[in-house]
Amino acid sequence: MEQIVECKSGLRDKLASGKDYYEIRLESIGGLGANLCGKMLGELGVKYLDVNSSNFSSYGSEKTGTPVKGFIRYCRKEKDIRVHYPVVEPDVLVIFHQALLKDKSVWKGCNKDTAVIIALEPGQEQADEIGCDAAEVYGLEAQRIAMETHSRINVVMLGAVLKIMGVEDITVGEQICKDTLGKKYPDALKGNLEGLRRGYEEVRQIKVKQSGVKKDINTGINRLSEWGYDNAPIGGINPRFGNTVIADLSPSRQGYIPLFIKEKCINCGLCHSTCPDMVFQFEKGQYKGRDMMVNKGLDYYHCKGCLRCVDVCPVNALVTGIEAEHSHKEYFMPNKELLRMPDYYEESGPDGYITSESYLTEKRMEGGEV
Amino acid sequence: MKEQIMEYASGNEMAAIAVKQIGYDLMGYYPITPSTQIAENLDIMRANGETDLVMVAAEGEHSAAGICYGASVAGGRVINATSANGLLYAIEQLPVQSGTRYPMVMNVVCRTVSGPLSIKGDHSDIMFILNAGWPILFASTVQQVYDFNIIALKLAEQVRLPVVVAYDGFFTSHQKGRCYRFKDDKDVRDYIGEKQEKYPFLDLNNPITVGSYMNEPDIINNRYQLHLAMEKAGELLPELFASFKELSGRGYGMVNGADCDDADSVLVLLGSSYDTSLDAIEEMRGEGKRVGVATLNVLRPFPSRELHNLIGKADNIMVADRQDSYGAAGGNLSLEVRATMQRYGCKANIKSVVYGLGGKDFFKEDAKAMLDMVKDSSTPDFSYYGVTPGMESEEEDSPLFEPVTREKTSINETKVEKVIDYGDTTENGEAVKVIGGSLNGVTAMPGRIAPGHGACPGCGIPVNLNLLLRGIEDPVVFLFQTGCGMIVTTAYPKTSFKVPYVHNLFQNGAATLSGVAEICYRKQQKGEIPPGDIIFIMVSGDGGLDIGMGSAIGTALRGHRLLIFEYDNGGYMNTGYQLSYSTPLGARSSTSHIGKEQYGKTFFHKDMPKIMAATGIPYVATVAESNPADFIKKAAKAAYYAKTTGTAYVKAISACPLNWNDKPATERKVIEAAVNSCYFPLYEVEQGVTRLSYDPEKTGKKIPVKDWLSMMGRTKHLQKEEYKDVVERLQKEIDRRYNELKARAK
Repeated sequence: MEQIVECKSGLRDKLASGKDYYEIRLESIGGLGANLCGKMLGELGVKYLDVNSSNFSSYGSEKTGTPVKGFIRYCRKEKDIRVHYPVVEPDVLVIFHQALLKDKSVWKGCNKDTAVIIALEPGQEQADEIGCDAAEVYGLEAQRIAMETHSRINVVMLGAVLKIMGVEDITVGEQICKDTLGKKYPDALKGNLEGLRRGYEEVRQIKVKQSGVKKDINTGINRLSEWGYDNAPIGGINPRFGNTVIADLSPSRQGYIPLFIKEKCINCGLCHSTCPDMVFQFEKGQYKGRDMMVNKGLDYYHCKGCLRCVDVCPVNALVTGIEAEHSHKEYFMPNKELLRMPDYYEESGPDGYITSESYLTEKRMEGGEV
Repeated sequence: MKEQIMEYASGNEMAAIAVKQIGYDLMGYYPITPSTQIAENLDIMRANGETDLVMVAAEGEHSAAGICYGASVAGGRVINATSANGLLYAIEQLPVQSGTRYPMVMNVVCRTVSGPLSIKGDHSDIMFILNAGWPILFASTVQQVYDFNIIALKLAEQVRLPVVVAYDGFFTSHQKGRCYRFKDDKDVRDYIGEKQEKYPFLDLNNPITVGSYMNEPDIINNRYQLHLAMEKAGELLPELFASFKELSGRGYGMVNGADCDDADSVLVLLGSSYDTSLDAIEEMRGEGKRVGVATLNVLRPFPSRELHNLIGKADNIMVADRQDSYGAAGGNLSLEVRATMQRYGCKANIKSVVYGLGGKDFFKEDAKAMLDMVKDSSTPDFSYYGVTPGMESEEEDSPLFEPVTREKTSINETKVEKVIDYGDTTENGEAVKVIGGSLNGVTAMPGRIAPGHGACPGCGIPVNLNLLLRGIEDPVVFLFQTGCGMIVTTAYPKTSFKVPYVHNLFQNGAATLSGVAEICYRKQQKGEIPPGDIIFIMVSGDGGLDIGMGSAIGTALRGHRLLIFEYDNGGYMNTGYQLSYSTPLGARSSTSHIGKEQYGKTFFHKDMPKIMAATGIPYVATVAESNPADFIKKAAKAAYYAKTTGTAYVKAISACPLNWNDKPATERKVIEAAVNSCYFPLYEVEQGVTRLSYDPEKTGKKIPVKDWLSMMGRTKHLQKEEYKDVVERLQKEIDRRYNELKARAK
């Protein structure tokens, strides 16, 4: 594993070179705490780094599994931060989750000068594919560190970002954690400080199998006509009924899927009654010689991995599986009511809507349950 | 100058800090994005004992404004905060407050007015209240939000008018940055001074009448007094800004500008875009261009003279409006700038654009483009900036599904039969009986809602909607009130609905669907659409039947034939879980925090089925996903009454893993526990007769409510000894309600 030799993307160097703003973009998924990470990075600037700073998140971000973007800007202390739009060309791009590597919007505005930090899966040593030609790519096994230190991935990533920003002394990071987490949760604080430190120490330059600007990571995304003032039905009317079906919600899953053991199934329909995502496909058939509706399989495009079905199945015909171990999903059956297969499926998480952070932030400080 | 300390905070946080430091008496509010955080932050301070502000969570913005009015009449110092449709819902109260001359302060965190529903920022809300008789300060930075909140109350009390502090939703309300506040609350209070009341309302020895019945010839004099007060505000504000500068070192004018003196082109805009334009101006000046930018810190009284002095010398003026006064060839800002310039004989070339609606980002490059556009003779006087025509695709956009027709949903599984007296006779000797509806059988029902919706993993809303729909074999037409159920299914350009669907705002769902139903009957009668029963379903949740209760009750009293379905997740979950009236006692929410001074929500959960039953509608039922067979049967019954008799109301308790803070996989067990604790008893009221559907006491499954509360993160703290009394009170209330229910039940 390579060590960091030279960090060209340091905050001070870039600001000293006359750059107006030093900008960081966090790419995450709701529930990983990127919003709080962004806030700590921002607050750190004005409080301990002797620069001016500001931060905000993409709004509509708090639903579990939704893609979230965080934006942090730094500038010289004397300057006011007057721009209020998202970070377009980040100096540092921080990716909290592997599933995001495939998302084209994640790589927008990145170039060879962008430093990329990727949260790696446990045991992963290099990144498969990145969507820009960045020369500096860093990684760390953030989830593993978080689990081992009983901290959260956001503090681990915070540590990594501080390292890449060229912050020489991790104590400022510790200070901001203490300020944010307060004295209220001493146990959580201890773990988080450890996670922060390990993030700072363990981030390293990594190899990338393939890099470069991707044209169409989500292929076919523009195949349908795009609505504007010339062609959109008036009043925001939407006649494309049921078209959320083209959403591929697998990025919402947290590593687990329900597995179907058809031989055990008694076709009671309880799974169908508890599934929020219309995953179970029942068709007319025979069970034990009787005509009835029979469970044919699962539409994994729409399964968010909540595992409600596993919990209610009275005969263990549905069990929890680790998704990575099941690249071929048995009894995968796309929605049976479709007239035709969609031209493409669009990877997406749950829809965002603005939420407030206070209750959730507090919850996450406590270590969070969900 | 007074001592100040640095904060790293957002506009909403700074507004809350100002409110706390001023020491207001009362906040009447109703949560609406993006202003909600003000109340949330104050609630945290309350819970921690940092403020003794009385906070009243109204059931809607109209009531919130009413609470504020009453509190200010009674002599309290009063604060409110709202946005967009909340402001419009409250609008009737605004002229009452100003016309009767009661000072208060309201933060308007600007957001797009619906519909289609948008939660992001523009100025379409604030411009609706230009005529309300409230002075309006517009803050373009987080620092100004704090400063203007302090100045606003002083102004309000000196001219005896209510004052608005407006700022950009999200751009200013949510972005955090460096700013300063006074260290000592006393400095803030000294600046504002003691409240003087010439006619104290609660002085019983000197009774006064507020709100006379007043026609001509008097009302014009009352209005003239208001006009004079507004003029006075215009004279006072520069003084207040000056005295505030002595205190803080931060000076403000009625207007604000950069590089306007020698500019040949000036850009005028409001809010955070002004801030962003400063960077653009700096760059353009570097390129040798003579450009400037200006904004207004005060919208009412409109600072005409000051604005003319600032920009009147420019040859070209571009005014960028973040809203449109449709049909008037510009938004209100540009119309008023044009009028001002004409008044002073300014001959500049003035153009305007509408930009940035619905929170569309405003980049530095946009400011530059606008300044170039104004000098270009081909630019029209008024145009839209940043609209896109769309792109037609070569490929055919053929439907993904067949329409869900009557034939397809008539699966003949759940059948409703009218019976005469089947053991527990109803008042008029009739009842209906549902047969079939097995969980296996109803899997044949085609989906009226497509998968791919964006609810959180494990969300109860789609589960409940599906159970309801599987028991209904007639075609359905939906109306959804605002809420998670609507947000996650209809994010443009996608929709999950495969049947007719309309959204309307919280307050008005049931009324709107009444109108839909009437026209359907009429068209059927005239033979314009095919005959046949259609079930009209109004879906509400996320506390939508707090603010929408009046409309629902009105519909029930009229007896409109529709089904009101409530998924009750016990909070305003779509906006980050603020308390609703059906949040359990003691539960934590983002407006009922836990701290040394507060234990969570302070009042009991609303008994909506009982309220609906009191309207005398033919069918009321409670359902839970833990009893799915019962759920499906009740759905069929409700649909039967909704098509034949009158309003039916069905309420489901609906899991919210995100905000209940529990595990998505085990939500059905949590729901089951709510039922078994009798927090959510299953029953129906059919034609006036109450029947228990399930009695956990009889099955030996009854559990104390404490056990249910232990299953959710939002109520876990109630297990502690210090909250014993809260749990006891809740248990007692549940017992009381359940015993009453049993006494009523046949």
